[in-house]
Amino acid sequence: MLLFSYLLLSGIATGALYALVALGLVVVNKATGVINFAQGEFLMFCGFVAWMIHVQFGLAYPFAFIAAIAAGFVLGAITDRVAFRSLAKTDIVGLVLATVGLAFVIRGTARVIWGGKADYLSFPPITSPEPLMIGTIMVVPQQMIALAGAVLILLIFAAFFQFTRIGKVMRATADNPRAATLVGISIENVYTLAFGTGAAIAGAAGVLAAPLTLLYPDMGFAFFIKGFAAAVLGGLTSLSGAIVGGLLVGVVEAMAGGYIDSSMMELSPFIMIMIVLIICPTGLLSLYKERHV
Amino acid sequence: MSIFSRRNVLAAFLTLGILVPAFANAYHLFIANLIVIYVLLAIGLNILVGYAGQLAFANAAMFGIGAYGTALLQVHLSWPFYFAFPAGALVAMAVGLVISLPALRLSGLYLALSTLAFAQCTQWVFLHWDSVTFGAGGFKSPPISFEPLPLNKPVGLYYLSLLVAVAFTLFAQNLVASRIGRAFVAVRDSDIAAQSLGIDLLRYKALAFGISGFAAGLAGGLYSQVLNFVSPEGFDLFQMVIQKSMIVVGGLGSIAGSVIGAGAIIVILELLREVKGAQEIVFGGLLIFFVTFLRGGIIGTLQSYVPGWDEPLHGARVVSGANTASEIGALDEKQSTT
Repeated sequence: MLLFSYLLLSGIATGALYALVALGLVVVNKATGVINFAQGEFLMFCGFVAWMIHVQFGLAYPFAFIAAIAAGFVLGAITDRVAFRSLAKTDIVGLVLATVGLAFVIRGTARVIWGGKADYLSFPPITSPEPLMIGTIMVVPQQMIALAGAVLILLIFAAFFQFTRIGKVMRATADNPRAATLVGISIENVYTLAFGTGAAIAGAAGVLAAPLTLLYPDMGFAFFIKGFAAAVLGGLTSLSGAIVGGLLVGVVEAMAGGYIDSSMMELSPFIMIMIVLIICPTGLLSLYKERHV
Repeated sequence: MSIFSRRNVLAAFLTLGILVPAFANAYHLFIANLIVIYVLLAIGLNILVGYAGQLAFANAAMFGIGAYGTALLQVHLSWPFYFAFPAGALVAMAVGLVISLPALRLSGLYLALSTLAFAQCTQWVFLHWDSVTFGAGGFKSPPISFEPLPLNKPVGLYYLSLLVAVAFTLFAQNLVASRIGRAFVAVRDSDIAAQSLGIDLLRYKALAFGISGFAAGLAGGLYSQVLNFVSPEGFDLFQMVIQKSMIVVGGLGSIAGSVIGAGAIIVILELLREVKGAQEIVFGGLLIFFVTFLRGGIIGTLQSYVPGWDEPLHGARVVSGANTASEIGALDEKQSTT
């Protein structure tokens, strides 16, 4: 029971981070039809930015958090303006390859600034790293902070999409770009916003993940592929699906690592992706939806 | 026929390639051998991505399977290289055929994800199946000898690679000009239209995956011999990006472009070897630049400015206009049907 509850909690905590990555992917994909393969690199880069502000400049963690989110937004918006605006009319092969290229540019840049292949930077823990016992359940405070932060971010963005004018504009564009243009929405600006928002969410995930994992330039890809898996589980266009998918990936990963073999932790998400893609390629939630033809 | 036409230039490259061992030092010969191996990889990948339009990310994994297959058959079963080499390539081809099965149901992004996942699984097997693959440290592969021929190992291996690469290039050139090549292009441009013309999607997608897997397997076997060493590191995502940038820089959907792209990328890779992070920045930048501004790659530029570079079937890729939002396309369909 102790092991199970521990695995479940830590699975949910990492799953919440995957959910954030997946959410960023879905926000971009809904608005622009692109899967941003550089999402994991945004996360990594923002993690490093937060490290710089928190450790090198000595500012408090909340400042680092906000700065990383801002950095993510700027990075995403620049990406859209520089690289993707001119690509908007090409096919999916070109778009995917361009985002893969972007991922490597960011990774290389991080390597130049913050260190080489074997350099790992540790992010100082926010709370004591000692696990607490609550009743018969073991809780790692650091994970709980990540979880709380992820939930907070999810709520903020849910409110953003639901209640603010910009959020409504973005939803309208995702729903029907042509009608959105007709009522005077500038689709191009929405694309930039979507890229920025997606990257900001990834940045938040990066700051939350940094104290749990070490920071290194190659960390982004694992987050990307698990977030992508989560997004696919949820059907690639559903925000709630992305969150469910993220939690599922995190829990499955933790369980496989705890009960089968620790090396299975890396493998289980991929096996899960392949099974899901073969059985129901349009995502788990689509099983409960009628299909529009 | 202009003097700088495709045929003449490629023939000049080949002559140069044959003459390389005569004047190159050991390092240059090594680079030349790498280029030849990457020509195999790039052509295989271009058939899959550029001609058949399947956005797959498993080529590096198949390259690895070819290398591991060839080397492990020699180490564990003490097969001679000349049996292990084709066997390793056949294993890679078989794996290619197996991963093409989900490809029939998946397209675009979903295919990209499932092949990425597959590549990660392969990497995991290389790393963790210690008893067979020797884990993260890798292992030495037994060197081949060219006993009866008066060749030392690097030169002999170079000519063997060149022979395989030239044979495969000719095969690919004829393949893409044949019924099969036309079917690939039809599948790429619209699989529904292709199907309605009587093209068996499963068969041709599987064929494209199989051919590219076989080429990657051959390249892997040669690569294991060139390095004398096999380890999981060489077959990761960066390997995949190197191969992708070759076909994008050379020209998607062009055999001559694959050859040029492979040469250009390997030279850049070697020039940048010393600088930390620079390889990644330059490759990523090249990918973005060519996809954004030079969609046809080097070959596209050549085709528009130098006479004699036209290839059968190079034809302009159909750019599906309203791709930015699938909803627009769906909307159009709805409107045109109602």
